[in-house]
Amino acid sequence: MTQLSAALAAEQAAIYAYGLIGVHLDRDAEREQARAAEQAHRQRRDYLVARLEQLKASAAPAPAGYELPFPVADRASALRLAIQIEDGVAQAWRPVLPATQGTERGTALSAMTEAAVRATRWRRLAAVTPVTLPFPGRPS
Amino acid sequence: MVLTGAVRMMGQTRRRVLGLAAGAGLGVTTLSGCGLLDDGPEPTPAPDPLQPLLDEALALAAAYDRAALALPALAARLTPLAADHRAHAAELARVIGVTLPSAPAAPASSGPAVTETLAGLRKAEQAGQRNAVAACGQAPAPRAALLGSIAASRATHIEALR
Repeated sequence: MTQLSAALAAEQAAIYAYGLIGVHLDRDAEREQARAAEQAHRQRRDYLVARLEQLKASAAPAPAGYELPFPVADRASALRLAIQIEDGVAQAWRPVLPATQGTERGTALSAMTEAAVRATRWRRLAAVTPVTLPFPGRPS
Repeated sequence: MVLTGAVRMMGQTRRRVLGLAAGAGLGVTTLSGCGLLDDGPEPTPAPDPLQPLLDEALALAAAYDRAALALPALAARLTPLAADHRAHAAELARVIGVTLPSAPAAPASSGPAVTETLAGLRKAEQAGQRNAVAACGQAPAPRAALLGSIAASRATHIEALR
């Protein structure tokens, strides 16, 4: 299940990124949103770890560190990273859809949809327009 | 490891080939069936199961157009959402193999009626999202990713209307 492993890698990267993002958000509502997002990504990670164990597939451990796409030093760059992270998570879940059926596909669609909705929320807070994408999860 | 970037899907090529092979098999059966009915009337092909989703996308796009006219203060917010729905309709038409009606303001006779208020649009998007989720759940593998993206996009529209 290469697709599940890729989704797991994206979720692990998101958990790492939100640690950084939260530090640079200064508004309570935004920090709370970052916390909730990190929690959601942890739950998806746990689901994927369990699923990969069921499938007897070994997942690569989360890397100790990540290379950031750009330096995160303030609210603006933190919001930009949050948008990129959620877009990336949606992109990682999308290939799971054709590889699964039934409730498993439903879970993948929920994960992808929630990431896309969070990306829209972050775009609105960052005053990025348009706030939506026509095809969330499709590689840009 | 780079944090972001497109995630490659390894199994895609093989599945796509399998999907094509299945389609080709179906084509052969249909062709031989046609031979038996040479003198009969042209059989009407059954509508594609995604046709209602396409009609709905066009109806939603038209509703946003009307709403942008009725609520000019919100036009900048609503116009990109209409564009999303048109992009969905174009992709669905390509997948189904039909031509989109050329007049963008075609009456949405087959789609749902939408009230052009934020609440009405939100309600229509919610129904649309449910329909796209159901279509994604029932779809064969080659259509699942597109339908998933349409469902997710409709969900982001609900957020954008808040």
